[in-house]
Amino acid sequence: MIREGSFGPAEAVILLAISNIARFFLPYPRSLAEIGGPAAWLTLPGGLLIVLAGVYVMSVILNKYPGKTIIEIIEEVFGPVLGTVFNLVTFSFFLAVGALFTREFAEAMIITALPETPISVITVAFLAMGLAGAYLGIEALARASRLSYLYVLGGIVLLLLAMIPQCNLDNLFPLLGRGPLQVLGNGSLSTAGVTEIILAGVLVQAMGGAGNFLSIGFRAMLLAYGIALALMVTLVMTIHYQSLAEFTLPFYQLAKLIYLGRFFQRVEAVFVIIWSVVGALKIALTLYGATVSLTRLLKLPDYRPLLWPLGLVMFIVSLLPPDMPASVRLDLVFLRPFALVPNYLIPLLVLAVYWLRGRGRRAGS
Amino acid sequence: MFNLKQLLQIISYQENLDTEGFILKETKDDQQKAGKKDQGQAAADSKQRSGAGQQQAGADAQKDDGKVEQQAGKDGQNQVSGGEDEGAADQNKRSRSRRSFRKPVPSSGTSAHRAAEDGEVSASLEENRESIRQLYGLPGNKDVIIRDFTINTVPPVRCFAVFIDGLTDKVVQDLLFQALMAFAGQAAPASGEKLVDLVKDSLMPGNQVSVTASFREFLDGVNYGGTALFLEGCGKVLLVETKGWEHRTVDRPQSEQTINGPQEAFTETLRTNTSLIRKLLKSEQLTTELLTVGCRVRTYVAVMYLRDLANPDLVAEVKRRIEGVKVDYLADSGVLEQFIEDHPYSLNPTTLATERPDRVASKIMEGKVAILVDGSPFVLVVPSTMYEQLHTGEEIYRRWQFGTYVRYLRALSFLASFLLPGLYLSLVLFHHEMLPTELLLAIAGNRERVPFPSIMEVLMMEFALEFIREAGLRVPGVMGTTIGIVGALILGQAAVQANIVSPILVILVSVTGLASFAIPYYSLAFTTRIYRFIYIALGATLGFFGISIGLFIQVLLTSNLKSFGVPYLVPTGPRTSAGADVVTRLPIFFHESRPDYVNPQDATRAPKVSRTWLKRDRGERR
Repeated sequence: MIREGSFGPAEAVILLAISNIARFFLPYPRSLAEIGGPAAWLTLPGGLLIVLAGVYVMSVILNKYPGKTIIEIIEEVFGPVLGTVFNLVTFSFFLAVGALFTREFAEAMIITALPETPISVITVAFLAMGLAGAYLGIEALARASRLSYLYVLGGIVLLLLAMIPQCNLDNLFPLLGRGPLQVLGNGSLSTAGVTEIILAGVLVQAMGGAGNFLSIGFRAMLLAYGIALALMVTLVMTIHYQSLAEFTLPFYQLAKLIYLGRFFQRVEAVFVIIWSVVGALKIALTLYGATVSLTRLLKLPDYRPLLWPLGLVMFIVSLLPPDMPASVRLDLVFLRPFALVPNYLIPLLVLAVYWLRGRGRRAGS
Repeated sequence: MFNLKQLLQIISYQENLDTEGFILKETKDDQQKAGKKDQGQAAADSKQRSGAGQQQAGADAQKDDGKVEQQAGKDGQNQVSGGEDEGAADQNKRSRSRRSFRKPVPSSGTSAHRAAEDGEVSASLEENRESIRQLYGLPGNKDVIIRDFTINTVPPVRCFAVFIDGLTDKVVQDLLFQALMAFAGQAAPASGEKLVDLVKDSLMPGNQVSVTASFREFLDGVNYGGTALFLEGCGKVLLVETKGWEHRTVDRPQSEQTINGPQEAFTETLRTNTSLIRKLLKSEQLTTELLTVGCRVRTYVAVMYLRDLANPDLVAEVKRRIEGVKVDYLADSGVLEQFIEDHPYSLNPTTLATERPDRVASKIMEGKVAILVDGSPFVLVVPSTMYEQLHTGEEIYRRWQFGTYVRYLRALSFLASFLLPGLYLSLVLFHHEMLPTELLLAIAGNRERVPFPSIMEVLMMEFALEFIREAGLRVPGVMGTTIGIVGALILGQAAVQANIVSPILVILVSVTGLASFAIPYYSLAFTTRIYRFIYIALGATLGFFGISIGLFIQVLLTSNLKSFGVPYLVPTGPRTSAGADVVTRLPIFFHESRPDYVNPQDATRAPKVSRTWLKRDRGERR
């Protein structure tokens, strides 16, 4: 039995929300601008609806198997062979997210602050933070996120306020951008490709059990998508969508535009602290998720011995893409669609099998 | 000429039998191993010993020295066979197994001491005197006084008093002897028991008198400044409380000075310290439990709490940890802190050590537990949080606006104390674009003539500051302060004039030092001093990214800490009911409940309306 510790709903909400907004500090907003044009921000409400539905499905499943995490439930529902295959999919998803985020954050750090530092050094630094966080456990991570969220949120709010003079409402038009199908279809599916539903399913017992899951999940996603929406709207209003689609790191570009008199300008370096902390939290969480999934799958008593090898695997995988564009492309083409499998497809299959079995039992009786 | 055997002998480990004699206890495994190896030799030894008669215990140290011990027999002295040639002796030594360590065996004095210590008081005065001689090593030990006298009863009773010179109050003792020698004119009963009762109840003027038959209790009493009275024909000893050693009087706090509030500090005397707390908390619920720590020298440790407020589990845990400390001597509360804290490898202190009784009293009133160690002027309070360690207690004596302002100022100084030099290095080495052009030019202009890289500059100044700080503490009296000020001024100015450091760095390091001094808890300030160097290294190597690595790891490590089961960063990490006294100090009438993380028996500090006069006024308002 893994000793995970426990944390309250407030910490859980912040943990999941911070984990969710990490992608907005990377080139992800750029891809939304490509999909939606001036309506890039409109991809988020659609994505939010899908995510809320996903959280609800996960909550239904978890409530049917109280005291268990999604890993054990999948194994119980699909049996040892198929269950293990599905769980390995979940495990690889966490690993892929961790590795890609490590690479993207490392590349972002080179672009923004450390142009002459070798990428391996920055990757190792990010993984060291991730390993430390995962080793100390989810309780420490939840508390750390609860302690740092005020600074993260404060930084974002300050940035948005500083951007007000440069916002142009005209940039939001035409309101539906590249068309409703593109914006609400492709865009929503893209923004719905999150990590947090399955992550919350793995951490459910540490979060206080299935009883709180729905409320925590809803609040976390509403908070995260609210912040993301504010950021996207400001981005589109400040930087025209065509320019936005050309920037590698739109958030960094936004921070560069801050000009509050002669003294307060070019303060984007301060935001390096915020997004590297957010990045480290995300990497630690995915590493933790991957390790705990594998530990539960192998029915091991402790997850810590697996941390170092999995951290090493993550490091190696993160260095496989040849360059930044390749990793961004992997994120868009591979990771976002892949995210739909463990977050939505597998839970829906679990629910279907549960329903079919129930029907079979009722028919038998 | 060397052959292989000799070479192996030279390079292989050989025990130095002349010095390795300090293995205190032999395990059963050792005995078994040794028994097998030395069977033959032991048989030879036993033959020789059988005729030797009883050995003197001091000579037992040589018992295992496989070399033949020839007993002189007549005078009991051992003689190592002197006629053997040295070469043969060396050969013999080499051939000896591990068993042949010279084991120090407790001397006869030690074993007799133990026996006497565990023994009971005899009815015979001479036997008791002999036991005391053994226990205290008399007549060599000159501190212990045995005073023979006769109690003036009818018939007179012979007795003697035992006390340690310098630990007792001579005035109280004079009264005691006067009463027994001059004014006790009563008839003495024949029975020893009754005699003890008579002396205790009618003749002895001491305010605390106890009767015991145990030498252990006798020793505890006398070692703690008591006077023991042994009576002829009586198998019990009377212990009178006559403590009166030299001690420091109650003075102003040295390291926690305040402007408002009480100005008393703890001293090195346990009972003075407990009374200082009790003086502030005049409650019958205030409980002082005395425990002893130390196997060789016993040190009293007092645990103080309010019986109707403190969580019983917390009290039990505190006592369990203290009782679980196995050490020969406990020198100070700082030593005990290291034995009982949850995270000994963390930089952050997880107990609060204070020298102010009013602070301890306020913590006890929150449901916490105070730990006092005899001989230490610092009292530990558990559990403790980081926010609490940034308080002085003085904020509560001031109006809430002032208290809140000071708290925020202190929070800023806390961050500045470890972040400022690292941030400066990040700026000048990695993120120049952040600096406005004028400031950048000013820094560059100042640094133009400095030959060292920025990191060297910062490290030199930081170490200089650390040296001044440490020297200022060690140099006696007024000179210490002078060195602090003069050192900082002269060193800074001279360093700038010599183009070793830039002026802006002197300002920066000074501000960092001041920020560090603004942290009220010395241990926490020490923590930031060490963290500062970590941030300097991180800032100089990876800029703001390095700073964020440090912050992330520090937050993780700190949020993982616990103090007696209570998270160190409560009430923010984890989130609990914040109360009115974390960073913002709300008006005093909002302090309605105690911190809930302690789980006190009664969480209510004050009713919803604590200013009842206001209610009455409202009613009467025209």
